[in-house]
Amino acid sequence: MLSEFFTQDIIGQFTDPKKRLFFGYIISALFIAFLWLLFIKKNSVAQSVRDIFAPDIWFSKSSRIDGVCFIINRVFFFFLQPVLITQIAIATMLYHWLHEHTFFQVNLFETAPYWLAASLFTLVFFLFDDFARFVTHLLLHKIPVLWEFHKFHHSAEHLTPLTVTRTHPVEGIIFGLRSAIVQGTTIALFVFLFGNEIGLVTIYGVNMFVVLFHGLGSNLRHSHIAIRYPKAVEIVLMSPAQHQLHHSDNPKHFDKNFGVALSLWDWICGTFHHSTDKSLKFGLGSDEQEVRQSILALYLEPFKSLGNRFR
Amino acid sequence: MKHTLFGLLASVSILSSPAIAGDVYGPYPITLNGYEGAKTNSVSYSGQVGRQLLHNSLKKAIGNSASLDEMNAYFNGSDKDLTLLDPKSSDSFKVDVTNINDVSKTNLSGKAFKGDIAGWPGNMSGKAVLQNMIVKASQVEKGYDAEHGYDYAQLVSKFTMGAVFYHQACDNYLDEKLAADNKPNNKPYKDGAYYTGKEHSWDEGFGYWGAAAHGATLSPRQNYDIAKKKDMAAADANGDGVVNLKSEMNYAHAYYASAFDKGGKTNYYNTITKAFIDGREIIANANGAALTDAERSDLQTHARKICANWERVIAEAVFKYAGSVYADIEKLKANSGDAKAYRKYVKHWGELKGFALSLHAGKFSLGSLGTELDALIGYGPVLMNGTQVSGIDATGAYQMADASVDGYMVNMLKVQNMMAEEFGVVAKNNDKLAGIKNLAETLGLANSAEND
Repeated sequence: MLSEFFTQDIIGQFTDPKKRLFFGYIISALFIAFLWLLFIKKNSVAQSVRDIFAPDIWFSKSSRIDGVCFIINRVFFFFLQPVLITQIAIATMLYHWLHEHTFFQVNLFETAPYWLAASLFTLVFFLFDDFARFVTHLLLHKIPVLWEFHKFHHSAEHLTPLTVTRTHPVEGIIFGLRSAIVQGTTIALFVFLFGNEIGLVTIYGVNMFVVLFHGLGSNLRHSHIAIRYPKAVEIVLMSPAQHQLHHSDNPKHFDKNFGVALSLWDWICGTFHHSTDKSLKFGLGSDEQEVRQSILALYLEPFKSLGNRFR
Repeated sequence: MKHTLFGLLASVSILSSPAIAGDVYGPYPITLNGYEGAKTNSVSYSGQVGRQLLHNSLKKAIGNSASLDEMNAYFNGSDKDLTLLDPKSSDSFKVDVTNINDVSKTNLSGKAFKGDIAGWPGNMSGKAVLQNMIVKASQVEKGYDAEHGYDYAQLVSKFTMGAVFYHQACDNYLDEKLAADNKPNNKPYKDGAYYTGKEHSWDEGFGYWGAAAHGATLSPRQNYDIAKKKDMAAADANGDGVVNLKSEMNYAHAYYASAFDKGGKTNYYNTITKAFIDGREIIANANGAALTDAERSDLQTHARKICANWERVIAEAVFKYAGSVYADIEKLKANSGDAKAYRKYVKHWGELKGFALSLHAGKFSLGSLGTELDALIGYGPVLMNGTQVSGIDATGAYQMADASVDGYMVNMLKVQNMMAEEFGVVAKNNDKLAGIKNLAETLGLANSAEND
């Protein structure tokens, strides 16, 4: 069991191209950062390398906490995973339901060519998934009970790719549920309409959009390399600098840029903010930043706050 | 030169032994203490082969619109000659039997499951269900009742395989007859027999399984083609130019096992056949002495393996035909007047129901799972006018009730799910939930626990 945990849950995070921390995506992110510093920021090669591997960021207390939380959370989810509802369970339930509530004929578009069905599924899944991530993220900020847990993530003072896993387990359960619902509903609907042969457009067996998003530097969202896109592009695609602004401890940046791959959702909902060239300080931007500086506090503080709230 | 010599030696050794040692069921020596007759092979299961032939012929008789008397003769046995209707000799597949009574004068009814079968209207025993189905079959042309959606040739055939063959093997010969004091190995099976109690009990189990004695030396495709009467060369193990129906033919569930195995995902045929061979060797090695507890325990381990896999073969068939039924309804929903599609629906449903009822005839009661399975499949297929057989009245006529066609499609999905989750099927032919599983697998685990 221990070796399974180590190979699948720890090492697997870095060797599975479905995961954001896959070493290939980390390498591509480092390379993009290097090109940015070299050609856009006009740094020397040596300076660019020094900036990327800045030890005061990678080995800061905040980053060390990220590392410990990564391990703790993997242990937590190793035991929790089997009891969480799966996308297959949701898809199966919905698939049954669709049969009995016939809005459409089952396999209505079964004769559609494979490439068309797969392209449509891949695109719809990407849009729905990205939108669901936006909504979930927005709720984590706007609903006080959820914000107590999401503070775990925002207490990071330095951002590295590992910060993506700086997540309270309660948040982790919410993310798991979100993914299961998004996957389950999309799968059920498409299998119902297009039949059993439906597939996903993949690159080396992985969702095309996952490879594109991560291959094009998703890991730089949690980093100190503030890559910005042209203003027109930032309205549609979230730049790393835009997400870094989301982590800013400046109150005027609070509750901005909830989106993941697309910033369009923010633009539509009025939570959009362009990136800035000013340097940012990351954290909660409140007294609580001081409180949430130990592993124990990070895990337990949300429950304490909730206890106080309902007292 | 070296290769030629080696090749020659290899072919000589293949020719000199009937097949690879350990992969053929028999012959096994006479071990019965005190036997002084001329027999040299203790293997005997002609009664079971007789029943396999009765089953094959009964199915054909129903399909040929035979009279009730004729059908009953195959079910109950007869003192008169019983013409073998299947497999019949042809130029490409010669068989050595024309009268079943020449193989064994036997019957199916005496060995049919006597427990209650709740999944068929009328609260009857397994045996009574078969008798009732045969009577009903004789009242319609070619055993096809379009009005209620019954294909009696399929229903009778598939349920006979469970209620007689699977039931007798797994609930009798490989079960209580393996007890120390039941048919012991140091006594003849019955007075005057040349085989011991345990030898014959085990042989009878093998006969009901229905595999050719040399089947484990062949590929699934070859075994399948033998059952389909398409591969004379593979069947004729002793090369005498004729298929010996006692030992060179594949029947019943063994045939279905080969059908699933040729998909490449399973190995039911060989797993079960080899377990029979391994078990038989334990008995032969005891050399006529009563089996020790350790030997009996080994034998029971083989028996458990045989019956667990046997049940899975039946479950695979339930899975497959639930998928067929689902697809048939889909076609009929698009064109409810498609007579050919309806005929297929009724045929597939008959197979589904026959196999599903068979699952009840094993060693263990299925409990609530069995009740659920019966409820999902119902007493009959849901017809396109939204009705389904709901019972049988005092005169024996079927009663109909409203039922949802869409709901019935979901039931078929649930049947497939049950076979996968509770019976562990692997081949999964006609998987109607494969799309969901494949997509979920490609997308990967939903529980990522990552912040964005």
